[in-house]
Amino acid sequence: MLLIALLLVPIVTAALSYFARRRAAMELVNLVGFSAFFLLALALAAQVLAAGTVTLANGFFYADALSALVIVLTAGVSLLCATYAIGYLRDDQQSGALGDEADGEESIARLRKYYTLTPLLVFSMLFVTIANNLGVMWVAVEATTLASVFLVTFYGRITSLEAAWKYAIIGGVGLSMALFGTVVTYYAAHLLAGSDALSGLNWSVLVQHAGQLDKQSMRLAFVLILLGYGTKAGLAPMHTWKPDAYSEAPVPSAAILSSAMLNCALYALIRFYILTSRCLGPEFPGRLLLLFGILSMGISVPFILVQKNYRRLLAYHTIDHSGIMVTALGIGSVMGSLGLMLHMTFHTIAKSLLFLCAGNVYQYFKTDLFAKLKGSVIKAMPLTGVVFLMAMLAIVGMPPFSLFQSEFLIVRAAFDSGHVLSAVLFILFGTGVFAGALLHVGGMILGPGEGDVAPFRPWREGSLIVLAVVLVVIGFWVPGPLLELIHRAASVVSGYTS
Amino acid sequence: MAALVLVLQIAMVAQRRIVAHIRIFTAQSFLLAAIAATIAWFNHAPHIYIVAALTLLVKVILVPILFKRLVERIRISDEIEPIVNVPLSVVISGGLTLLGYVVAESFYRPDETNAPVSLGHNALAVAISLFLIGFFTMINRRKALSQVLALLSLENGLFLAAISLTYGMPLIVELGVFFDVLVAAMVLSILVYRIRETFESMDVSLLRKLRG
Repeated sequence: MLLIALLLVPIVTAALSYFARRRAAMELVNLVGFSAFFLLALALAAQVLAAGTVTLANGFFYADALSALVIVLTAGVSLLCATYAIGYLRDDQQSGALGDEADGEESIARLRKYYTLTPLLVFSMLFVTIANNLGVMWVAVEATTLASVFLVTFYGRITSLEAAWKYAIIGGVGLSMALFGTVVTYYAAHLLAGSDALSGLNWSVLVQHAGQLDKQSMRLAFVLILLGYGTKAGLAPMHTWKPDAYSEAPVPSAAILSSAMLNCALYALIRFYILTSRCLGPEFPGRLLLLFGILSMGISVPFILVQKNYRRLLAYHTIDHSGIMVTALGIGSVMGSLGLMLHMTFHTIAKSLLFLCAGNVYQYFKTDLFAKLKGSVIKAMPLTGVVFLMAMLAIVGMPPFSLFQSEFLIVRAAFDSGHVLSAVLFILFGTGVFAGALLHVGGMILGPGEGDVAPFRPWREGSLIVLAVVLVVIGFWVPGPLLELIHRAASVVSGYTS
Repeated sequence: MAALVLVLQIAMVAQRRIVAHIRIFTAQSFLLAAIAATIAWFNHAPHIYIVAALTLLVKVILVPILFKRLVERIRISDEIEPIVNVPLSVVISGGLTLLGYVVAESFYRPDETNAPVSLGHNALAVAISLFLIGFFTMINRRKALSQVLALLSLENGLFLAAISLTYGMPLIVELGVFFDVLVAAMVLSILVYRIRETFESMDVSLLRKLRG
């Protein structure tokens, strides 16, 4: 029942927004829809904590702690982005960024596009996490790309077309590899009894019989899956769409893409990692994941150091963190999996907060280049400036913020399990990112210059304050149920594999 | 029949005009539908008939209509300019086909004779070749629409792999994949249209503003 309600809410929200005629109606529908979605996600998490797993329709839908964690994170981010978007898009409308006139037909059409596609995007992300059938999961991942392409072209600039084209084509090619991997997985399972039925590709069934899967095929399948879903997660060298898409999409969408959608891509990868390491042992997939993870971290460093544009800077940060999480998955021990789940949670909070701050700065100063930012952010927008700097410190792994803990845990897990080279490179690249990010963002926020103080805008600053408080608090105290959920999600990864 | 699909794929590599490119894609998809129907007939698997019918509907009827209308709307008759010239492209495709057969060899199990129709082996090699040649065509073409067509023919290769390896994925998965292919074709054709309107060209090598 809960799962059905969870699936229905975003669909109804999208439909109502599509038929809404006035801006206020769309805003209200989205706000109510995402609030309901968040509450239902919490209810699902509670149910998963109580019962272990929740299934529906003969196991077609399947939610365990890992799914529940990703769903709660998705729901939280999309609710905060929905409130933020109200303020952000109203300002866009007034400044004429959406069309010629403030109340013209064109700007309403653009708003309708935003408020319809966002729930659809959230719906497909939800579907990724509760689809038990790996083929259906692929369909849902592809749907997240399709739903978000037109969010990237939202402003209709020449550069947004370019970004969307890269996003769609690179994503399409990458996901075709993932589909191939899924087909090969199905082939690897075709000798199992009952594999012809619909449940033949169900993760919960396959994981029970992982030892009997055809080993040679699983090897090929995992490589294809890693390339495919790795493209979606923005692992190097398939990351090139990411900075473009994130800097061209409207800021609330970029926040969702860089946190929630990244989680979904990693989620798909994690499911296949569990299958493969049960079938072939953790050695083979682990090494590949470490390679791609460390490579992603390494590639992001020079781009962060020389970056001129702060939204692209954040995108390279996401590539870095995607690398961190994949490295943690590759390490694969109990501690590594726990680090992965903690990092996923903390990164989601910090990264969406950073994008929302960047949105405030962008709209006030009308530029996303460091060089053109006249005046200091902290004087013009005290709250945004402080929060931006704080979130930046958090995301580069400064203690006492939470990401320090998770990264520390991952490095420790790497040393413990003997991946010394990976651990050393991890620390080295982490230092590079640290230096680059603080250099740019510190200069931008604390730089000289006078400016008028921007007015307080409750829709946006509200989301900012909530996220900032969560970010600070979670560094010292993780609420009991959430911690339990994280632990259980980690044991989904490590429990099956060790 | 699988061999014919491969011939068409190589013909696509050699093709210079976009309308012909769309026709070849249509023919290739039609053959795929026929292969699916044959497999359904010999294996008495009714759900593969549905898959065949869907292939016919989506890839032979809807997608080509969509693209032909797009071509009419943006009035392109200009030739495709491949980066590597045509003879060399054909040679490269030949090499990729060879590679496809080598890869498919590792899937071949002589002891598995329980399958009523053993077209599996050859068809899988063709499927992998289609996949690789599709990749190559995407890299080789600068025009947006031909890249989309290459992506779709790459997907055709996957479809062939799915039916030859496992006699089709579960029906619900196939339905979802077809839905995605259809939506992807629509999304991409809208993007192609917008790129054409903005740049007065479909040459995606003009898309080079975003760097670093």
